[in-house]
Amino acid sequence: MATSTVPLDETPPIPDEPLLDVNLLKEIGQKALVDALNSVNGAKTLVLDASLAGPLGLVIEVSLLKHHGVDKMFWLEPGPLTSTTPNIVYLCRPMIKYVKIVADQIKRHSRDSQKHTYTLLLVPRISTLVSRILEEEGVLGDVRISSYNLQFIPIADDVVSLENDNAFKELWVDGDETVIYNSAQALLTLQKLYGLFPRIVGKGDHAARLATLLTKHLPSDSSTPDTLLAQSEKIDSLIILDRRVDMITPLLTQLTYEGLTDELIGIKNSHVELPVSLLTPPPPMGAAASSAAPPAASASLKKVEPKKKHHLTTSTDPLFGELRDLNFSSVGKRLNKVAHRLEEDYKAREIALQETKTVAQLRDFVGKLGGLQTEHQSLRLHTGLSELLVPLTHTDQFNKTLEIQQNLLASYEIPSQISAIEDLIAQGADMQTVVRLLCLASITCGGIKVKALENLKREVLQAYGYNFLPLLLSLASPSLGILLPNPLPTSTPPALAAAKYPFVGLRKSLRLLIDDNPEALDEVENDISFCVAQKGGVLSNPAEKEKAAAASADGKAQPSSIKAQAHPIAGWRGFEDILATIPGETVDIVQSGGNTLATPMASLLRPMQKPTTTVIFFLGGCTYTEIAALRWVGRQNRGRKFLIATTGIVNGNSIVESIAGVAKSAGPKDAAI
Amino acid sequence: MSAERPSSRWQIMQDGKTFYKRQQLYSIPGKLPNLSDYIVAGCCYGGPIALMRDTTKLIALGRTTPAITKAQIQIYSPAGEGLLLFSWDQGKIIRFGWTADERLAILNEEGIYRLYDLQGDYQQYSLGNEAGEMGVIDARIHENGLVALTGSLSLLEVKGWEGSRPLTLANPNMSQPPNSWAVIPPDLNISRHVEVLLSVDSTIFTVDNLESIDQRLSQGPFTHVSPSPNGKSLALLTFAGTLLVVSSDFQRTLAEFKTGEVVGAEGSVHQVEWCGIDAILVTWDNLVVVVGPFGDTLEYYYSGPTFAVTEPDGVRIVGPDVCDLIQKVPSCSTSIFRPGSTSASAILYDAWESFAQRSPKADENIRSIRPELAAAVDECIEAAGQEWEPYWQRRLLNAAKFGRGFLDLHNPTDFINMGQTLKVLNAVRFYEIGIPLTHLQYIYASPSHLITRLTARNMHLLALRISTYLSLKPDAVLKHWASAKIMRSRPSATGTGADADLGGDEDVCKLIVDKFEQLGGADVSYAEIAKRAWDVGRGGLATKLLDHEPRASDQVPLLLSMKEDRLALVKAVDSGDTDLVYHVLLHLHKRLPLGSFFRLIEDGGSQLAPASKLLQVYAREQNREMLRDFFYSDDRRVESAVLSLDEAAATSDPASKITAVRAAQKFFSEDKDRGFESRMMDESARLLASQQQLEKETDGKIVFFGLSVNETIRTCLVNGMSKRADKVKSDFKVPDKRFWYVKLQALTSTSDFEGLDTFSKSKRSPIGYEPFVRHLVEAGHPKEALSYVVRCDSPKRADLYVECGEWRMAGKECKERGDKAKLQLIREKCPNSLIAREFDLILASMK
Repeated sequence: MATSTVPLDETPPIPDEPLLDVNLLKEIGQKALVDALNSVNGAKTLVLDASLAGPLGLVIEVSLLKHHGVDKMFWLEPGPLTSTTPNIVYLCRPMIKYVKIVADQIKRHSRDSQKHTYTLLLVPRISTLVSRILEEEGVLGDVRISSYNLQFIPIADDVVSLENDNAFKELWVDGDETVIYNSAQALLTLQKLYGLFPRIVGKGDHAARLATLLTKHLPSDSSTPDTLLAQSEKIDSLIILDRRVDMITPLLTQLTYEGLTDELIGIKNSHVELPVSLLTPPPPMGAAASSAAPPAASASLKKVEPKKKHHLTTSTDPLFGELRDLNFSSVGKRLNKVAHRLEEDYKAREIALQETKTVAQLRDFVGKLGGLQTEHQSLRLHTGLSELLVPLTHTDQFNKTLEIQQNLLASYEIPSQISAIEDLIAQGADMQTVVRLLCLASITCGGIKVKALENLKREVLQAYGYNFLPLLLSLASPSLGILLPNPLPTSTPPALAAAKYPFVGLRKSLRLLIDDNPEALDEVENDISFCVAQKGGVLSNPAEKEKAAAASADGKAQPSSIKAQAHPIAGWRGFEDILATIPGETVDIVQSGGNTLATPMASLLRPMQKPTTTVIFFLGGCTYTEIAALRWVGRQNRGRKFLIATTGIVNGNSIVESIAGVAKSAGPKDAAI
Repeated sequence: MSAERPSSRWQIMQDGKTFYKRQQLYSIPGKLPNLSDYIVAGCCYGGPIALMRDTTKLIALGRTTPAITKAQIQIYSPAGEGLLLFSWDQGKIIRFGWTADERLAILNEEGIYRLYDLQGDYQQYSLGNEAGEMGVIDARIHENGLVALTGSLSLLEVKGWEGSRPLTLANPNMSQPPNSWAVIPPDLNISRHVEVLLSVDSTIFTVDNLESIDQRLSQGPFTHVSPSPNGKSLALLTFAGTLLVVSSDFQRTLAEFKTGEVVGAEGSVHQVEWCGIDAILVTWDNLVVVVGPFGDTLEYYYSGPTFAVTEPDGVRIVGPDVCDLIQKVPSCSTSIFRPGSTSASAILYDAWESFAQRSPKADENIRSIRPELAAAVDECIEAAGQEWEPYWQRRLLNAAKFGRGFLDLHNPTDFINMGQTLKVLNAVRFYEIGIPLTHLQYIYASPSHLITRLTARNMHLLALRISTYLSLKPDAVLKHWASAKIMRSRPSATGTGADADLGGDEDVCKLIVDKFEQLGGADVSYAEIAKRAWDVGRGGLATKLLDHEPRASDQVPLLLSMKEDRLALVKAVDSGDTDLVYHVLLHLHKRLPLGSFFRLIEDGGSQLAPASKLLQVYAREQNREMLRDFFYSDDRRVESAVLSLDEAAATSDPASKITAVRAAQKFFSEDKDRGFESRMMDESARLLASQQQLEKETDGKIVFFGLSVNETIRTCLVNGMSKRADKVKSDFKVPDKRFWYVKLQALTSTSDFEGLDTFSKSKRSPIGYEPFVRHLVEAGHPKEALSYVVRCDSPKRADLYVECGEWRMAGKECKERGDKAKLQLIREKCPNSLIAREFDLILASMK
């Protein structure tokens, strides 16, 4: 049982129309860092917060840093710092724990009467909190505080991310709204580049907050760029989705190639850790492998490990582009196909070699060689990676988990699912898996019977430790409310009661679950995960929903042979009733430029033929499966492309871990730089 | 107007190619005191000059001199109008100079510096303790910062004028102060960092924040060091009077010139300044000499001492009677007005003159330059910008307009812009305004810069007219006007009682708001103006103005200083800027007593909830004590408990851990809805206690403390304490199922297969025997797993045998059960032909 998002017969997902050039964002990020570094004269030691290293690695190369005077790089870790350069540049997020380390190191230096010039670069902006803490620690006068405004980082052609791993937890557990503000700033940058979003639709309380911040015109410099005065030509709308609105998707196991890799092996900042043997081919290194080679600077920090980071990107590895959104069960088939083709290419090459007569022919021939080798290497890589994944998908627990998920979605025999979860606990399944299932059960069934829930919670605490009690409390807290008893105790705050998710009703009205229909069965092997992956798409795109409504019976699972012309996005029209049942505010704002007299209707009257891009922003993170689903939706219609923006890539495990405060191995070895 | 051609006032260099002109800007007889008695600092871009009496000079008493005992600074416009006069009551002034935004920076020997604007308001900053103790002996002030030389002969740099902390530059290790020195400002350096040039002995040291380099010159010592306006060359004057020009990297000597040979030069050289980037101006008492790149000279005589201010495109000379601008004649002007010029533009100008005189020569001329006509028009427009007299400006523009008539397509933008610019320039050059900007300077400095300079002189009406004329936003002017208005209206209200005072606030506020609305100053920050009002002690007015401010983030800091705490917090939360919220929170935490601080946040309800959350985030890391109090004061049992648990997790000391868990349990028990949590914490504490007991029993050899129930059981089992494990099971009511799994896993991990066997037979397994098989197989013990297969349900046995790798048994099982379909399925998977054949046999036997 698995999910599929791409029918096999379709051509590889190469966008036929040009998207917005997201590399522009990368260049902006790169330039900002270079400028920040250049503001400090002379050789400098760069001290980096490990959580930033991954994102930074996507923006800038170490050689470039060296070029701009970075002599040595260290991780920002407690303990003394030895530096030989007069300048020390700290680069970190404005988190209290980091600032304390910085303060400690400065104090140590002054005790040892070492003289250095300190610069603290905060990402993405200067914070009062930091200067306050430095003041409390008594070192404020020694540090020059500046900022490095790192915003959206392109992680694929159509995906940009803030790469903030903790966004979900900060918003819904801590109640820290910094992420919203930063997101607003980042979206504002997009607007500065491409013009105002003509329409903003959103769902969820925090989404509404973001939309207000965005439209209220954040305090800007006196010079307002012209782009902020006119509606964008290239973007037709911004859709803001609050992660809280759809908690189900991340709780389910992702089954696309990329999603599954993330679930089982873990993808961090587009990098995956793989055994070295997979990455170092016997022939000279292919382009893909060399780009992933860890830079020399981290070699000193890195223990010798049998594992190595690999950057999963389509730019050097086109095969990955073909594979990433495939259902894992079809990955084998596709790899097979590619292998065959490659073999033929090799054969053709041999024939060609025999026929090569002139020097020009020989040159052509040699030119093709490199391409073949690269392809060969990436085929090897992905075959190896799939081999790693296969045994993990064959375990009892994995399949049991999938089964429970599907039954819960179909609301099938709830009590027996609950006891199945209990069995999983008894068997010693991962805490993350169990908690995901529990939350899923609670959401889909509108809460778990009080007795059963208490029993389950007790089981969890006994099996995994009483220290997870705060996790359970957080999950049940009014702001999150994804693990609740049914009925709710009388003393519950009304907010919590209102936040209950009407899953059963939604499933019916939005046709989230589709029975297998024979013709789709080949490709779309499983409905459930597919559909839930689609749910993101459904919720996110009102236009798509209209289409779904029009094309009545077959819904959207059936890949329609005729590409429908994308409807203009006209707010939530036609879905108001259903939306009203989902907790959280609904937003629909039309932004017209300050100097144009455009009526709201103008945005609807734009020429249909003109290809346009819709930006979808996931506040709180999105999963790879959702990205895959949106790409699928994007391919189903002409004239509209999606640009997915998110605070970070999440999956169920990462969400649970961040709430539980289980430190992921965020040690030096995790950094890409 | 003079019909005399501009070229009549040009002087030609000896090389015969370059012309220089001396343009008289203003005639100022008797307006300035004798400059030789004063220390002077001039502000470029046609800015004012500041004068302070030089106390080293003798002064003839008895004349009507102003009070000479006190240090006084006078500021004059280039047209000789006194702009400001103030006295200095601080320590001895070391140096003063002008900043880019036309403020006078004054540095005294104690390392204190003040920035005066033209209204006499100032900000005061300090160079820090070190400078204060050592004393400052000299300094160089450039547009965007200063470099001070301390008493210990080290160099301190201040970047910008916001009072930033001074940076120590590399130590040049001098034994005595330099003979002379200069700085090259950061924006003129390749490195973008300030560079200091020190003349020490016979050489020059270049110093930046990294290193000090000896440039190994031998001609020194130098009395004057002067970098060119673009920072690429240096002019050095030796004691012997030789003027050297070198590139600023000291690689090339560009020119050498002996000043002693200048006819009429008497006494010592006053100033060495640059005139453009290729000529140097050397001044003596009554003489000013321009030295060209090839040693050519031009002499200008004055009736008394002069002061020269380098401008980007020339040099301004303030003499006793006149204020002059000496500059190289720009190429556009030479090509039109140079006697005998035959360039297209000259012919165009000529044609226009002929046209104006109704002479047919005009047509002929135009025809002759037809191909270059467009360039000629552009040149005429450019040349118009170079002329000081409106008469010539008009003539040149007319010529351009005339030429344009013969062109099919010509972009008129330049023409229009030039017309507008000249109108503005002529207006500000008027002597009452006294800003003698050239066209080039105006372009360099930007129109908005001009506006700020006008507002700084309180010339709001002119500034407003110019901004409207140039279609600039009126915001800057309005803002300045409002501030000035508030300052001026201050005294009027005093003495007439409280009512009048209130009325005054109302009036002023209305006046300002009306004016803003009328002139469309929508983007003016009311907060800044309100702050101004607050600063001068008009709280009422500030509040009123602040109400008009649309941007929350601007209101907050002022609200805080006005002690409008709650309002500030609400506004900060509304703005969505968490940093702003922190700003308010930290500020309030510092200022208010803890109790009222908490009350403020708690009373805010849902409106201030984000602030409360942020406070918790901060306090959790930095100030747990406060957080505990906060939760306690608000009766937040659950949060208190979680905080307590947090501490329990952080501590490693067993006793305090148990105490913390107990504390959490107590908090939970106080909330009637948290019965479950309370029970769990009770269990947790009991577990910890029993773990301590277990550790004691094993003499601390085995770590139990802090494990989960499952792990405790497992550890017991692994270490052969199965009685203990049973006790933990019963104490914590562990369900059989889970216990069996844990025990199965534990025994397998120690390969205690006998124990496992007894365990499996101890009673009927609540989890069946399938898990036994599977787990043993997974752990790599298929042989041991085999014995459990028979105990499983018969339909599953065949598959389980396969998992154990016992294909024959699987075959046998199928045969016994007569399950042919299963057999076939298994056969397809079988690993080798040997077994496959056996299967075939069995299949054949089963009919």
